[in-house]
Amino acid sequence: MQESLPDRRDRMTKVLRINKGAEKGLKELLKFLLEDGRVKGVVALRKTGEDGAISYSLITNADHIESTLPLFPLMPVNLGKQLSLLTLMEPATHPIAVVLRPCELRAFVELVKRNQGSLENFLFISSTCGGVYPLKMAVAEDIDKQLAQYWEAVEQGEAIPDIRPACKACTYFVPYTADITLSLLGNKEIDKQSVLFLNTDKGQSFVEGISGQLSEEEPDSATMEQIRKEREAEKQKLSDEVETKALGIDDLTKTFSRCIDCHNCSKVCPICYCHVCFFDSKDSEHGLVYYETELEKKGFVSMLSETTFYHLVRLFHVSASCVGCGLCADVCPANIPLWAVSLKTGEAVQKAFDYLPGKDIEEGIPLTTFKPEEFAGVE
Amino acid sequence: MVVTQKGAILAAEEGTEKGILNFIKQALSQGCFDAVLIPARVPTGDSFAYFLVQNESFLEGASPLSPIMPVQGARVLSALTRGGKGKKRIAAVIRPCEARAAIELAKLGQVDLENMILITVDCPGVIPLSDYFEDPTKGNEVFKHASQDWNSKPMRPVCRTCDKFSACGGEDIHVGTLETSSASILLIPHGAKGEDILNKLGIPLEEDISDWEAKVKRLTEERKKGRKQTDEALRADIEGINRLAETFSACINCHNCMRVCPICYCQQCNFDSNKMKFTFEDYITRAETRGSLMVPTDTLLFHIGRMLHMSLSCVSCGMCEDACPMAIPVAQIFTLVGDRNQEAFDYVPGRSVAEPLPLTTFEEREFQEVEQSYAGVSARQERQDD
Repeated sequence: MQESLPDRRDRMTKVLRINKGAEKGLKELLKFLLEDGRVKGVVALRKTGEDGAISYSLITNADHIESTLPLFPLMPVNLGKQLSLLTLMEPATHPIAVVLRPCELRAFVELVKRNQGSLENFLFISSTCGGVYPLKMAVAEDIDKQLAQYWEAVEQGEAIPDIRPACKACTYFVPYTADITLSLLGNKEIDKQSVLFLNTDKGQSFVEGISGQLSEEEPDSATMEQIRKEREAEKQKLSDEVETKALGIDDLTKTFSRCIDCHNCSKVCPICYCHVCFFDSKDSEHGLVYYETELEKKGFVSMLSETTFYHLVRLFHVSASCVGCGLCADVCPANIPLWAVSLKTGEAVQKAFDYLPGKDIEEGIPLTTFKPEEFAGVE
Repeated sequence: MVVTQKGAILAAEEGTEKGILNFIKQALSQGCFDAVLIPARVPTGDSFAYFLVQNESFLEGASPLSPIMPVQGARVLSALTRGGKGKKRIAAVIRPCEARAAIELAKLGQVDLENMILITVDCPGVIPLSDYFEDPTKGNEVFKHASQDWNSKPMRPVCRTCDKFSACGGEDIHVGTLETSSASILLIPHGAKGEDILNKLGIPLEEDISDWEAKVKRLTEERKKGRKQTDEALRADIEGINRLAETFSACINCHNCMRVCPICYCQQCNFDSNKMKFTFEDYITRAETRGSLMVPTDTLLFHIGRMLHMSLSCVSCGMCEDACPMAIPVAQIFTLVGDRNQEAFDYVPGRSVAEPLPLTTFEEREFQEVEQSYAGVSARQERQDD
């Protein structure tokens, strides 16, 4: 997995420090990029209207940067999926800066591997990610009350209560292919300084000329490793709590028993990119003949009998590329802990193929590459 | 609302649900129909689903009045019959709003009612899915008490103001339970299908139902009043394009409201189609006109488009709101708009299969006031142009 490929996140890197808090500095950078015409647009979280919600926006007017909240701990949609939709017809026609979370960036990379968009012209700005709150908390307008606690925990590199379970269990909080990485987790200076790692030549050239101090530094890998270990332990704990241990058919049926067959998990999933899902297609319709035959056989038939089948097939399709963003669980009207199911299946499949989704655009999707000698044991 | 003058009274000493089940079992065993579509608890016990049942013994665990509506019954009927009717005659025990949606879908060619017998029950409402799934055991208890007392507080917001909780006119047999003596239920057939069943079972139609009718009417009026109040409050909240935009600004474009809606039957929604995918240049141009463009794009357009398509047939079941991950009061908004649109066409969705969908009929003389105001606008425009 991530150990087997050279990790580009560990080397000496140019670092830009802007003498303002992390978010302020980031906003200054975004404004600079727009005003100086280095990018035509910025994609970041923003509050809409006075009473509006927080959602992503494609911003072209530098004055609108003021109303952005690029680090607000909420993921209303997986931006990777949205970038795919924006670039499905053609690549970005102008340079665009995007502020996104590591799992969103990884999802976008996976989608581009599937020809569902293009990385061209994007400047990716990500951060060492503390995680996001469940959508439910945004609905209840509870997030603002938690913000102070959130940033305190981020600064200390500590576990953050009440964030998405998927985030608590996330060990990939350091972005892989970002041009610029904003240091947040375990960074004691986030109130005073914006510390931006310029990982790529692109990242370095875009920020040229902005006021701030440049230096060359090594990322604090010891702290990152410490946090990774803690998250790993949390993951173990959380996944033990969810009753999907055996993943046998009985457990699966139990896990999915409340499914209402709305398929919203697939709709919001950044990896589920099919235009029409098989399970929404004519091919998956039965008609009365089927039901009448079942009735003759069993005396009764459930009208929600194929939900487990749907979830299994979805897992089958997405697990090699699942980035563990947790949106599936967040939007489930039946509160099914889908994040745990995806996480467990994803980990197992990704491990088997020695593949980490979204780590490297050059790395082929496991099922598109064939090695004659692999999985000889199965044969 | 008044569907027939006489009804039949059936003993239900073990409660309403058992009473209904006994009637269904009797009818099934007498061959009045070949199978029953009815909600029942799923094997794990933490949810409900529709089951198609042929063997009487499997009816034991059925719940004609389940505490939740995980799937709208009309969607189930559509899944069963949109490919054509089968050989078996099926009695569907569903809620009034589900029957009404099924009738709308029949008009839209998505449900075949020929071999279907619609049996509805006075409906106390359903608990929102999110409340129920937090603790199903508690949810069952809450529903049990609330439905006994006709207390609509724990129910879906649109259930609380539902003024069509009883017979709608399009069903074949309605079961009256509203404040009937606790040990009995009323059977009220509507049309030949329903009457034939009661005849076949030798159940005489001798019961005067005016007392029950009066109770239904009273609650209907009460609900109508409540509906008006909540409509007004909501209207203040959402009226005008800016308020509307802010209300829907939380929308994450998942289209789950559409997917669970019984009326939204399109195999593929326009808003999920390639028609709604644009070039990057197009997105940038749109962003530049206002300085920024919300991503996902076109969320408000989706809701307005959906409203335009289904509000005349909206039965206010509340599925959309239950399925919205952002808790946007979709069902309440659509009810507000739906009521007004339906009133304009003097149309009640699901009242009768024979009543055509408003947009499929054209009367030359209708909506002249709209023409007038339009004429006024263009006259003003012309004056300005001069």
